[in-house]
Amino acid sequence: MSGTMAEQSIPQGHELLVQLENIFESDPLIDEVGFVPPAQIVELNEKADGLDHVTTHFWSKDHKLAISMEVLKPLLQAAKDAFTVACREYKEFANLPVDEICLDSPASESFTENEVMKHSKALLLLSCDFRSAWNSRKLVASRRKSLSLYMEELLLSKLILSYAPKSEEAWSYRRWVIKMIDGTFPNMQDILKNESKLVEGIAEKLKMNYRAWYHRCWLVSYMTAQQVFDEFNQSRKWAELHVADNCCFHYRRRLMLRMLEDYLLQQTEACFLYSSDLSVMWNEELYWNELLIKRFIGREALWVHRRFLAQCWIKHFVSLSSDTPLDGFLDHELELIRTCMHVGGDDFGDNEVHADLASAYILWISPQVTTDRGAAFLAKLKKSGDVNILAKSCPGKKLLLEDLVGNQSLMPRPIFPSVKTPLLALIPSSPSLWVSIFPSLRTAAILLLPRRTSATAYLR
Amino acid sequence: MGELEIDKHVQYILDVEKKRDFESLLMEHIRMNGAYWGLTTLYLLGKLEKVDQDAVVEWMMKCQHDCGGFGGSIGHDPHVLYTLSAVQVLVLFNKLDMLDAEKVSNYIASLQNEDGSFAGDIWGEIDTRFSYCAICCLALLHRLDKINVEKAVNYIVSCKNLDGGFGCTPGGESHAGQIFCCVGALAITGSLHYVDKDRLGWWLCERQVKSGGLNGRPEKLPDVCYSWWVLSSLIIIDRVHWIDKDKLTKFILNCQDRENGGISDRPDDAVDVFHTYFGVAGLSLLEYPEVKPIDPAYALPVDVVNRIFFGK
Ligand SMILES: [Zn+2]
Repeated sequence: MSGTMAEQSIPQGHELLVQLENIFESDPLIDEVGFVPPAQIVELNEKADGLDHVTTHFWSKDHKLAISMEVLKPLLQAAKDAFTVACREYKEFANLPVDEICLDSPASESFTENEVMKHSKALLLLSCDFRSAWNSRKLVASRRKSLSLYMEELLLSKLILSYAPKSEEAWSYRRWVIKMIDGTFPNMQDILKNESKLVEGIAEKLKMNYRAWYHRCWLVSYMTAQQVFDEFNQSRKWAELHVADNCCFHYRRRLMLRMLEDYLLQQTEACFLYSSDLSVMWNEELYWNELLIKRFIGREALWVHRRFLAQCWIKHFVSLSSDTPLDGFLDHELELIRTCMHVGGDDFGDNEVHADLASAYILWISPQVTTDRGAAFLAKLKKSGDVNILAKSCPGKKLLLEDLVGNQSLMPRPIFPSVKTPLLALIPSSPSLWVSIFPSLRTAAILLLPRRTSATAYLR
Repeated sequence: MGELEIDKHVQYILDVEKKRDFESLLMEHIRMNGAYWGLTTLYLLGKLEKVDQDAVVEWMMKCQHDCGGFGGSIGHDPHVLYTLSAVQVLVLFNKLDMLDAEKVSNYIASLQNEDGSFAGDIWGEIDTRFSYCAICCLALLHRLDKINVEKAVNYIVSCKNLDGGFGCTPGGESHAGQIFCCVGALAITGSLHYVDKDRLGWWLCERQVKSGGLNGRPEKLPDVCYSWWVLSSLIIIDRVHWIDKDKLTKFILNCQDRENGGISDRPDDAVDVFHTYFGVAGLSLLEYPEVKPIDPAYALPVDVVNRIFFGK
């Protein structure tokens, strides 16, 4: 009963699609979209005057657009249908040899192109990971090769990210556009700067957004040494305000590794920029991280960051300079974890987590240390009794710990033959070894053999 | 706390297919993945016969393009993500002979780049997930010789981080989903010696939180789907004894919708096919009774993988 009522009051999907596309055509600068209950549309329409568009199911003003949730299904269906037809027609044009296109009426090609752009936009607005719709826009843009169109495409992706910040396809589309304009666009650095800012804005709204931060990490390989340096300095404040966001700390790690890489490769520009300052910078990061660890109790992301800093410090910087000897560094770290294991405070749970993270940290960096010193260091650790705290936290870690402290190094415990021995060696001799293990761990070698030698022939 | 509601989950999966609401319309572009998740779950629960296999295969073959790749649904562009799902479903049905294996593997091989990495489709986005899809797919088709395996492996290794984990491309943050793809691909190609097993095992076992569930990276909430990604990786690198399996089993069982079937990401959330599959697959890795064993690298039932590679 209510079904028929609804069908009567909601116009056909096609009509809705025309309304939506008209709104977009009259305001290409719409930068925010919301999906709201039908009653709210009525309310908005009654309240406001000077609307750009008055319809029952849409509301739009000052580049903002609201769509009634009631019409989403028919709208999506209509957009999908219209897109499918337009896309099929356009692909026929795109596949034709160039001379045939000239014979054909060019007007009808641009008409179809326009249809594809119009309908795919409506469709993506409603279903942001609809890959084929993004692809159709790539096809159009790569054929038109217009810089302004590429810029418009970045805006569309931004609009969608404003309400779907995790949309993998919307992020991927930006990378595609950047790759297309790389080399032809005069101001690549500005583009990168804007992209970086965009990620920061979106990361503010939704924490730990892997897709967003991955995009920012991806940009690093396009950056100049100066830009890397600037990004590193600018992201510090944000990280300080979001100490649980491991993504931002990873971004800093990415930047630091790029600087280290440049330095090790002795690139001239990079050398001029950092040279000896790199170890100073690393030291500052360690110091800053320590302050944060002491201020924010029980934050895993901060300890993860310290693991990285210490790993690199031991590997690249300790040996370089005589005024930062390894023992001094390790003593300092030991002092730090002792402080962290006995923090006072109200929240017992957080303190416990803090102590666990601290002991896990010190154990994590110990295999980094060279053998003789490492043994002495572990002995020191065992004597202090600090590692026992970790053993309480979870049975799994207890096993890990026994492996580590008991053997003074992490010993592999092979169960599957393939883990220890190259599979190829196993094949002719002892196929019976494989009986108890997972197929994927024993098929590898067979797959790598020339195809004509069948697996069964070998096994017999 | 109770047991696994096998019958209800089976019914839930069979019903999902019939639904035509807004949600299912939104998911249409990844219907091929949905088919793989749903059908593998049914297989693991011993109920694959409840499905009209011919109808599924007929629909699937309509999703294939002239280039050899499969789309997520009829009329959708081809992509390696859907191509792998299609091949996996055909393997599940023991109907790989429906396929022109040469054509499919040529499509996949065409996506390999000079540096060994793989694009997901002709538009060129690169990701180690696509490396896994390509390698897994070619292995199932017995066509790994179509690509440069050494370069493919080297590229994956170049995505390794100092914490032992892997990211989407070099320098990308470690993420349990990416780690599964990289470790799985390295297992299939016999290249596990590139993995820092203790370091990675440590990082992975730190994914277990107080509730027993696993998260995908530091500071995140636990989620049923990571039961699969973390656990399969730990098994492949032989470090699964570093986590508390009983607590994890309880966590997964707590995420069931006991009335209507299906499993959600966390207790009391809405269920979906994706998490139902990963919950059941996770329980399979935990050797839960009544669930068939699943292979950690191919993400297919062990007896199906045996059939493919050992003809039995
Ligand atoms: Zn999940």
